[in-house]
Amino acid sequence: MALKHSVSGFLADRYDMETATGFLRKQAGKRLPPHTSWLHVFGSLSLLLFISQTITGIMLLIYYRPTPDEAHKSIQYITAEVNYGWLYRQIHAWGATLMILAVVLHMTRTYFFGAYKKPRELTWVSGVLIFIVTITFGFTGYLLPWNQIAFWATTVGTESANKIPIIGEWLRYFIRGGDVVTGETLSRFFVVHVIILPWALTGLIAVHLFLMRATNLATLEPVGEEKPIEPKHGIPFFPVHVCKESIVAVLLLAVLVTLSVLAPWEIGEPADPLVTPEHIKPEWYFLPSYQLLKYFEGPYGAFFGIVACSVPFLLLFLWPFLDRGKHRHPKKRPIAVGIGLVGLIGALVLGYLGHVSETEQTFFGTRYHIDHYGVPHRVADKSRDEGE
Amino acid sequence: MSNRFLGNTEMNEPTPQPTRRSFLDWVIGLFSAVTVGAMTIPALAYFWPAAKGGKGGDVEVKEAANLKPGESAIVQLQGKAAIVRRDASGLVAYSAVCTHLGCLVKWDGARKEFLCPCHAAVFDASGRVVSGPAPAPLPAYKVKEVSGKVFVSTT
Ligand code: HEM
Ligand code: FES
Repeated sequence: MALKHSVSGFLADRYDMETATGFLRKQAGKRLPPHTSWLHVFGSLSLLLFISQTITGIMLLIYYRPTPDEAHKSIQYITAEVNYGWLYRQIHAWGATLMILAVVLHMTRTYFFGAYKKPRELTWVSGVLIFIVTITFGFTGYLLPWNQIAFWATTVGTESANKIPIIGEWLRYFIRGGDVVTGETLSRFFVVHVIILPWALTGLIAVHLFLMRATNLATLEPVGEEKPIEPKHGIPFFPVHVCKESIVAVLLLAVLVTLSVLAPWEIGEPADPLVTPEHIKPEWYFLPSYQLLKYFEGPYGAFFGIVACSVPFLLLFLWPFLDRGKHRHPKKRPIAVGIGLVGLIGALVLGYLGHVSETEQTFFGTRYHIDHYGVPHRVADKSRDEGE
Repeated sequence: MSNRFLGNTEMNEPTPQPTRRSFLDWVIGLFSAVTVGAMTIPALAYFWPAAKGGKGGDVEVKEAANLKPGESAIVQLQGKAAIVRRDASGLVAYSAVCTHLGCLVKWDGARKEFLCPCHAAVFDASGRVVSGPAPAPLPAYKVKEVSGKVFVSTT
């Protein structure tokens, strides 16, 4: 107590502490709209995961070495030798997946609640940028263990850039740091993953949170008819919402550790630039684009495929300016809700087809071979015609 | 000049002539732009990958020297993967990089076709597309055998 007093006395003698504590108190006591629920925790969950990724990422950096000769070995060393190294690597790898999931769920919530409408268009746009940076985190981090699957998934992924007209070849050369994926690529991805993106995301999150606080959370009232939240009906940010967020944080920690122990990510075989393994697939969050690209074939196919994969992102950016309807309540926006559901279900279906393509699956007791396009073919009882 | 700042309400000023102040603004702007440009251009060039290795020409491929008819080897040619194989008429070489999305094709001796493991592109023995998503044939490389040594040219 005495210590606390002398510290606050020390500060108060020198700085205008009234303004600082007043500001914090005002932020903490802010009233959130009455419909604020458990669905509103995905934003802070994303932030929490970013903090977790930053801490575990810095820990991994102590032992990780970004060269083709050493990368794979250093990850093996982290997992096998370093005290609790396996745990922090697993939490980082699982945290990446959960972070992308949290960001997607957060976007889904704000979409269906019409929270992107005036005056919060730029909050949404900054959110789409955060989404893209998060995916890029995943893409660049995936290569770092320098294993076969990552090496070849990155080869295929960066090759797609080549299909962009005019700048494609230039872009691929730039991203790879050469004609093919090599140690130059690893260096580039490493710097982007551990320096550029963390700072970019920190800045974007700061802007996003500032905008969020400046306009407060959206109510369900139509654009232009939002009334200030009355203290009686509003939900206090502290302690009510913070309490929900803390529960989610504890659950998150439990989920991360459980997944790390029960479903660990493998390290895989070290990358071999002369052998392409069978069935390379990207991470789940790229499966929808991966599958969509397959339907575009022929000389111009790849180009239209790239267009088809970019349009959804363009629509996300422009959406608050395209959807000019005043209503926020999902029941009063059948078209926007319909479009959102079609987009979401479309992505899930494409992702599922991508996941099962080129595998064998059993549906209702019958064995099917799912081809490249996701079309099932009945497997004859005799074993497949090709060996291995 | 100073009436704007002193709150003089006389509004019938002539259209603004370049003043010493606006001229200075212009000069400062120009110098800032030149400085930023002079800093950005070398920085952008820095990020451009430095060219490596020889361009084209004959490369000796040691792995190909002992190939028997029907056998094939996958080799690195100045950083690019290629398949060299011996058929009835001698050694031939093709780029091993699938023209679809860059995986490495394998030579299937029984089918006499190149198969890509990634999205099932199939190329015939001379690199032409048979089926699958590949938009272009596999480029062929020139092969020379000089006194037991094998040279492949990527140009
Ligand atoms: C913010 C600071 C971050 C730092 C300093 C960092 C650092 C690292 C390092 C050193 C590795 C290599 C070790 C390994 O592969 O296990 C790695 C891998 C990885 N990172 Fe990060 N990271 C950060 C954030 C993120 C974020 C936000 C994501 C995703 C949303 C992410 C996704 C990944 C993935 C998917 C891997 C591969 C995991 C594996 O297979 O082991 N990272 N990161
Ligand atoms: S990379 Fe060869 S078929 Fe796609």
